[in-house]
Amino acid sequence: MSGGPLLRIEGLTKVFGGGPTLVRAVDGVDLVTESGELALVMGPSGSGKTTLLSMIGGILRPTEGRIVIAGLEITALPRRALPRVRRELVGFVFQSFNLLESLSALENVEIVVNLAGVTGPEAAERARTLLREAGLEQRLDFKAGDLSAGERQRVAIARALANRPRLLLADEPTANLDSAHGREAMALLRGLTKAKGHAAVVVSHDERLLEVADRVFWLEDGRLRGSRDGLPPGTARASHSVLRARTGGALG
Amino acid sequence: MVPLARRNLLAEKGRFAMSVSGVAFAVLLVLIVLSLYRGWSGVGSLYEQMPGQLWVSQPGTSDPFHSTSFLPLADVRALGAVPGVRAAIPVYTRHIAFGERGHELDVFAMALAVPASLGSAASADVPPPGSIDVDRVLARNAGVGVGDRLVVLGRSFLVARIHSGGNSIFQTAYLNAADARAVFGIDGLVNFALLDLRAGADPARVASAVSAALPGTEIHTAEEFATSFADRINAGFLAVVGVLVGIGFVVGGAVIALTTYTATVEKAREFGVLKAVGAPGRFLYRVVVDQSLIVGSLGSLLGIIAAIAAARLIKQQVPEFITVLRWTDAAVVFAGALATAVLASYLPVRRIERIDPAEVFRP
Repeated sequence: MSGGPLLRIEGLTKVFGGGPTLVRAVDGVDLVTESGELALVMGPSGSGKTTLLSMIGGILRPTEGRIVIAGLEITALPRRALPRVRRELVGFVFQSFNLLESLSALENVEIVVNLAGVTGPEAAERARTLLREAGLEQRLDFKAGDLSAGERQRVAIARALANRPRLLLADEPTANLDSAHGREAMALLRGLTKAKGHAAVVVSHDERLLEVADRVFWLEDGRLRGSRDGLPPGTARASHSVLRARTGGALG
Repeated sequence: MVPLARRNLLAEKGRFAMSVSGVAFAVLLVLIVLSLYRGWSGVGSLYEQMPGQLWVSQPGTSDPFHSTSFLPLADVRALGAVPGVRAAIPVYTRHIAFGERGHELDVFAMALAVPASLGSAASADVPPPGSIDVDRVLARNAGVGVGDRLVVLGRSFLVARIHSGGNSIFQTAYLNAADARAVFGIDGLVNFALLDLRAGADPARVASAVSAALPGTEIHTAEEFATSFADRINAGFLAVVGVLVGIGFVVGGAVIALTTYTATVEKAREFGVLKAVGAPGRFLYRVVVDQSLIVGSLGSLLGIIAAIAAARLIKQQVPEFITVLRWTDAAVVFAGALATAVLASYLPVRRIERIDPAEVFRP
């Protein structure tokens, strides 16, 4: 692992199809994020945000370009090595939470700890601690389906952090939440990112997230076009203090 | 380790219960068919329970039940002097068919002229003159109990004892040798000779000596008769039993496969999520195989318990259906069910392989 940026993306391109149906979903994207930063990627529907996130997370293989996370070039790794990257280096937060319905809140986090080879009381304790930090101490044994949307997203965030990843990737994390729960979820994501020294890449339509982002990227037709208000790509857009003020300083 | 397989199954309790019941029913079917087969195969063991080790018959005789034979009584009595023979027992056999209380009875009647030299224990099994011992099925079908009278070939006998045995094809009755000679209408002849050997006598040597003393006869061991009987049963039953056992396994396997496949398809998105967060293939396959094994093992155990209960019930209520449930059969069926469960995981595992983790980004 290097002392450089936590995430470096160079010339990232993803092409789907061929001939007349060829689509360049992501086209030559360069992006850098440092530890402790929350980078927000905004853009209209179909602009390639989710494709970009899938490639950063090692779920989708790029057609061209490099992705380096904490000094490890994941685009140079064989496909069979990518599950380990997803397990140990990155954590995912999904738009529709994607909790396992048959499991409790605690088990949803614990099973991801298990995937990293940690089992038994140690895994349960780690999951319990994360859920406690997410304010869900009273909901540990609730089935996923018995939790509110906001609580489900907080479980999802705790799950994403289960294996102490260096990079959090969140796909429209507030899309299925009302205003209050959306703010809570982002405050949690932001607070934990700062507190634990992770970096986070969040793709979203939600303009309220501008308040918590350290860097904002505007993606359109698969290309970074600079920020929406004309600033260069990755311009620092907001400081933590803005959200801290709005939430009464209750952030991590 | 979070028990995801168990949680997934218990999330749909109704379907889980139906799946386990389906497997249990298949295992019950397999075990009952096997136990019937075992019961029928063991019918020939009656030859091994008689007081003698070698049987003498006319040539071409398979066993007393399936063929008949005639030997001169004087020649049989002379066999008692062959070295190594402690006693030569004249044996009278006859199939008797008669109707009683609306039942068509096919009775295999036997009489052994056990000499007093064999002691009171052997003689005690022989009914006294004018009496008959019948098996449980015959007693029930003829509607007689101990102390009742049963008319056989026009002669009335007192039912002295009711012993176990009997089946849906034939029943057994034991007569006194003197009565058998009179009822069967043979005098000076016997059907078979049963030789009780002296302790330490070599059966092969005795057989050679008997062949020399009584040319034109065949010597069989009791085990050969039992095997011959079992072989005939096998020839008739084995193919049918094999098909039924095969059907049982196919039904059980299909139930397990369907349950696991449905559970996998329903949870496809969740398996995609696990893939997305880095679950290795072997972890996911393990979940699927565990689901199959849980259904297979619970269903099998339930099926075995049901088969034990059913076998007992059959023995009590329908004794003509002979059931012998062996623990080794139950163990083999259990192991087979588990192997079927693992095989039944194949399709769900293939389904998981095709799940694209990128799909989880779709809302």
